[in-house]
This record gives sequence, structure tokens and C-alpha cells, in this order.
Amino acid sequence: MARRKKNNRKKRPVAVTVIAAAIVVLFLIRLYQVFEPLIRQQVFENGIAGPLFDGWRLTDLGRALLSSVTYFVLSATGIAVLIGFLRLRRWSWVLLMSWTGISLAITLVNYFYAQRLLGAQRLLGSQPNYAVMASNVIIAFALNMTEVQRIFGIRRDESVPSL
Amino acid sequence: MKVYRASDRPAAPATASDLELLRQFEPVAYFTNGEPFFPTDVDHYVRDCSLWEHYPDEHEKLLVKQGELTLEKLVEPRPAAFGTVRFLRFIENLSLTESAQVLADQARLRARLRNNFHAGIGRLARGGFLPRLVDGLFSLSFLLRGRVSAATAAAAELDYYEMFKEEPKYVYYGRVARQNGWTILQYWFFFCFNNWRSGFHGVNNHESDWEMITIYLYEDGGQLIPEWVAYASHDFKGDDLRRRWDDHGELQINDECHPVIYAGAGSHASYFRPGEYQAEFNLPLPNWFSGLMRTWNKFWTETLGQPAGNPFRIPFVDFARGDGLRIGPGAPQSWSPALIDESTAWVSQYRGLWGLFARDPISGENAPAGPMYNRDGTPRSSWYDPLGFAGLDKVPPPPQALELLKSNCDKVIQRQEELEQLILEKAVELQSLGIEMKGMEGNPHLAKQHAALEKTISALGAEVKGLRRERSENTALLQGLAQQLERLNAGEPDDPRTHIRHLAEPDKPTLAFRFDRAAETWAAISLSLLLFAIAGLIFLAPHYVWAGLTIIFLLFLVAESILRAAFVQTIARITLILAMVAALILFFHFWKWIIVGALLLTGAFLMFQRLRELTG
Repeated sequence: MARRKKNNRKKRPVAVTVIAAAIVVLFLIRLYQVFEPLIRQQVFENGIAGPLFDGWRLTDLGRALLSSVTYFVLSATGIAVLIGFLRLRRWSWVLLMSWTGISLAITLVNYFYAQRLLGAQRLLGSQPNYAVMASNVIIAFALNMTEVQRIFGIRRDESVPSL
Repeated sequence: MKVYRASDRPAAPATASDLELLRQFEPVAYFTNGEPFFPTDVDHYVRDCSLWEHYPDEHEKLLVKQGELTLEKLVEPRPAAFGTVRFLRFIENLSLTESAQVLADQARLRARLRNNFHAGIGRLARGGFLPRLVDGLFSLSFLLRGRVSAATAAAAELDYYEMFKEEPKYVYYGRVARQNGWTILQYWFFFCFNNWRSGFHGVNNHESDWEMITIYLYEDGGQLIPEWVAYASHDFKGDDLRRRWDDHGELQINDECHPVIYAGAGSHASYFRPGEYQAEFNLPLPNWFSGLMRTWNKFWTETLGQPAGNPFRIPFVDFARGDGLRIGPGAPQSWSPALIDESTAWVSQYRGLWGLFARDPISGENAPAGPMYNRDGTPRSSWYDPLGFAGLDKVPPPPQALELLKSNCDKVIQRQEELEQLILEKAVELQSLGIEMKGMEGNPHLAKQHAALEKTISALGAEVKGLRRERSENTALLQGLAQQLERLNAGEPDDPRTHIRHLAEPDKPTLAFRFDRAAETWAAISLSLLLFAIAGLIFLAPHYVWAGLTIIFLLFLVAESILRAAFVQTIARITLILAMVAALILFFHFWKWIIVGALLLTGAFLMFQRLRELTG
């Protein structure tokens, strides 16, 4: 009789798959954000045709390049986190939760201030990105689930010092 | 019959006088280095005080001047209107110059006596950032509430020092009461001042302080044997206050007869073990706010699975190290005892406060009343109900315990026999009625009788069921009682701590701080840094105040979490709160889409379930 082999590997909860999917969505959004400013500045057609700085200030082209590079770094980090996450590594949970927190903070600042703060408007865009916000909300709640925290070795039911 | 008392227990003859009893079991008090106030006599103190009255219209009147007051004058009858507060005043109002002078003199005295206190890792580093923030507000509240200043505490320290030089003695006031088979020895300690806040970073300062411990003895063969010891302490009450005499892990007994008290520095609260205790002070919050907090906590812990926390509870450390002066048998200093009871005039006839009425609405800085009374003049429960005070009103003395247990067993056994008989009778009756009802079936003309009989059978069935349940419960109870009886007869000691719900435990010496010194420094400066940052933000970037405040606050929380080795948990909590805010925003903007999506998903799920049932 064929015997089913015991599987000692940690089972991946459904929430982990949901989070991974959300990371992929975010990655695609970020990827769009890498190329969108470059397309807007016609960098692919004309190359970097113009100065990046005007004195101490960035020119529009400079800002577009900075924005692209930033989002590229974020996208690359997202891929690294995704790999670690699918391999159920503790560091990836911590990194993802930290990143989600930062991202949510930026999105909320953007939401409340985008219309008032020129700096924020230039850096983050004029409209709050609801798709990013929603993905982050899903990721935050999914990461907080007990079974997810247990499988990543975050929750061991020990007492936690209060803040 | 079994001897239920441990052979190593000390005993005193039941015929001993009250004073002999008190002396035989008098405690040894271990104080913390840096403590400036020790138990003293009320006579000398009162002679150094003035007597005042505070009236409901907020004005105050001097009744007897300092230097003219005696214990006899204190208890003279003085009619007063409702709402009047009578109080003593140990330290008169100090001018700015006098305040500076007494603070300097206090520093010199401490240096000369080498009686200095070092907090170590203070309470601020033990609590978190949020309690520290609330603590800052609590400190500011002293601007609005009445307060007893550090200068007043310094003046009291200097005055007490002079008083002690004139009459160097350490006093306790002993009271012996007898209730429900127990002989109760109460030791009351009077201190001129409680300088917990100004001297030891605690909750409050107040003039005068009354503390008390109690020893409970039972009589066996003409001897009085100690069974329980209760110490009054901040956050504890009832059963949690007492320890059994043979609980050597909790109760230290010197020379077989003398329980050791570790007195909290400044607060003078009594502890069984040496150490540093976290006393928590709950801010008095409005009811609606407390209700909101409860709802939030329920959601936070039960729905989101986060650990419970209350930022409105400020942790204070009570230092009961026991490394300072020691008073009592076998210690370098000895007691001067004095007997008190209801016939002692200053105990029963003076209902006022034993120090300054600071007009503190939450009473922390108002002086306490005497041993018999609460601050509002009502009787103090530890005086009129010393058994109930330590949860002993339900505990019989050991010799009676055996008798009571046997009597209880007999009662239960007797009831079991009655039940057996009753159940038998009722069960037969029930069967007989059942047969009768069966006979009525198929006879439509007996419908009425059938319905009535059905009701009777139902009631009787319920009664039999109840009796059977009682018999079953009694069997379990009897088993427990029999085991207890067996243990008592065999002289097996039971667990001395089963009655304790909340055990006062000192902090562990090694706290989970990542960087002790850094954590301590951060705890000391973080609140001020936060205020500086907010001021800078308002001045330099007035348009970004709310965003800036949020970011600064989050950065402070993260810094705190790194030092407290709680980064992961903190990040998770912050992210979760942000996610909740974001979810609300999303719902606000897209509620129609969210509802439609939820309906579609639910519909699809239900259809899938039903179709699977249909095809499966």
C-alpha cells in the first residue's frame, strides 16, 4: 500500500499567498511609476537632453529621474522581500511590515496634505494613490494574522513590553 | 485528634497581656537607604503642629497655634458645619527664600548623614513612552491640583531630624482585637511625612502617614499561635494582603517570632520581600472615556489579537530594598511600643486629617486621617473589620476548621441520604403516573385528564432531575471535603498561596532593556526632546504641523521600541493603526464599490456552496 509521506515543511497559509499577490500588484504599480516620469519627459526618445540641476534646485527632468530611480530601488526591494516572504523568512516579515507602515504613512500624508503641500505634491503626485493604499491595508491586516505571525516566528505568545 | 499546627510555630500563653503579645510578635522593619522618616510618636508631632479648619466656602481658620497644641487640645469637642475639614499643619507656608534655604539645608543634612538614595534604572525607563507622556501631563496637573512641595518635604525632613534628636525613639502603636476565634495584633506606624514623590519619584507627597500590619493568632491548648500576617500595600486588598506564617518563600520571620517588613522608600507601604515594586496609578478618567477605552481595548485585543495595554496607567516604582535602617528585635534599633484602642482619645475622638489638607481633588496629596478613620471621617474598615480587611472573615481558625469541616461533611452526608430516599420515592411516583398516562391514550373522552396529568408528570420529572443533579453535585462536594479532611487529619500542609489572586512581585533585577544606560537617558530626556521638536516644528514649518507631529511621534515611538527591544511589535502596532485609518478613508470614498463588491463576493460564494451541494 502506498503510504503518504509526512510533510515536515511549514505549510504556507492562504494569507501569505494573498500578501504575495498584493506585493506583485504593488510591484507592478511601482514599475509603472518608474517609467511614467521618464515617458513624460521623453527620455526614451531624446535621452537625457538637458540639465538636471538649476543651481541647487532640481529641474523637471532631474525630478523625473530622481523619482524613477527611487521607485526602481523600491521595486527591486519589493522583489527581494517577495522572495524572502515566499520562503517564510522572519526578516522579510519585519521588512514588509516596516515598509507597509512607511508606505501607509506617506500615503496618508499625501491624502491629507497633497492639496496643500507643494513639496509633497511634487514628490508624491497630486492625487493619493488609492490602489497602493488598499494593497497596503490588505498587507497590514494579513501580516497581523496570528497564523502568519506564528509561521514567520514573530509571535511566540511571550509577554511584550508595553510602549 | 490531629495536630494541625506546625511544631516549629512559636506560641504565647493565652493569658498574656496585650502588650506582652504585641512585644512577642513585633515586626522588624527594614527601610531603604535614603529614607528620612521613621515611625515616630504622635505626641511630639502634634506639639509641633497647628490645628486648622477648612470650610466649604474655601476659607481656612486657625484653631490652635503651633506650640500650643497638645493631644488633649486636639480632641476637644468642636462643633462644625457639614463639609468642614479639620486638619493639622506640620509645616507652615514657606516663602521662596525659605524654600531655597530648606532645600539647601536638606542637601547638607543628607550629605552629612550619608543618607542618599540612588534610583538606578528609574520608573520612567520601566514604563513605556506613552505612559511617560501621560506622566508628564500628570506632573503638570500639580499646577492645577493642590500640592505639597519638595520644599515642604525638605522642611519636614529637617524638623523630623530635630524632633528625633530631642527624643530618639521608634514607635509603634499596638492594638489587640479579638474576633471570631482570632486574636488580632495590629501594629500601627506613624510617620511625619510621606515624601514618595519628591524623594523617590513616586506618586505623591503628603504630611503624615499611617501604615499598618496585622498578625492573626489562633488559640490551641491555652496557647496563641500565629497563622497569618497581613501588610497594607498600595494596589492590593483582601486575600492578596495576607501570607501564611509557614510560607517561608514569601514571609521572612526573624528569630521565629518576628515578621520582616520591607518598607517602601517615601511611601512606607509594606512588602514581604525586598525589591523594587511597580505600583501603578490609574488616572481618574471620565466614565464616557473609560467606556470608549474598554471598547477600543476589546477590539484591539480580541479582534486584532494585540496585547492589552493602558497608556493611562502610570507606573511608579516603590523602592523596598531593605538596605537602610532596621528597627525591631535583633536589629540595631528597637521599638518603643504604645497600646491603643477605642478608649485612646486621640484615636477615637479626632476624626480630622493628621497633616495638611492640600485641597487635592483626587486626595493623593491630602494627609490621611488616623487609624480609626478615613479621610472623610467615616470608620476605617481595617480598624472595625480587621478580619474582612485581609479576607479572613471567611476563614476559621485551624482548630475550628477541622470541626467545621466535619460538621459540613456530616450535613452533606445526611442530605445525600435524604436525597436517595426522595429520589427513590419520586421516581416510583413518576413511573406510576407514566403508566397511568399510557392507559389514557386512545380515549378521547380523557383528553382533559391526560393534559393535566402531562403537566404533573412534567413538573415531577423536573423535580426528580433537580434532585439527581443535587445528589451528583453533593457527591463531588463530598469528595472535596473528604480529601480536605484527610489532609487535615494527616497533618499535610496545603498550598499557602491558593488564596492569593494578585501576588506582589518585585521587578526582576535584569530587565529586558537592550541598552540600560541609553534607555535610562532616553527615558529622562525623550519627553523634553519631543516638546522641543514640536516647538521647532511650529516655529520653522507652521504649515506642516499635523503631519510633522505625526511623523515626530512615530519616530519617537520607534526609537523607544529599539531601546526596549520591542521594535517588531511596535512597528506592527503602528502599521495596524495606520491601516485602520487608511481603511476608513477607503470606505469613505469607495463605500458603494466596497458594498457592491462584498455583495457580489458573498453571492458568488453562496452560489458555489449550494451548487457544490447540489452536484456533490
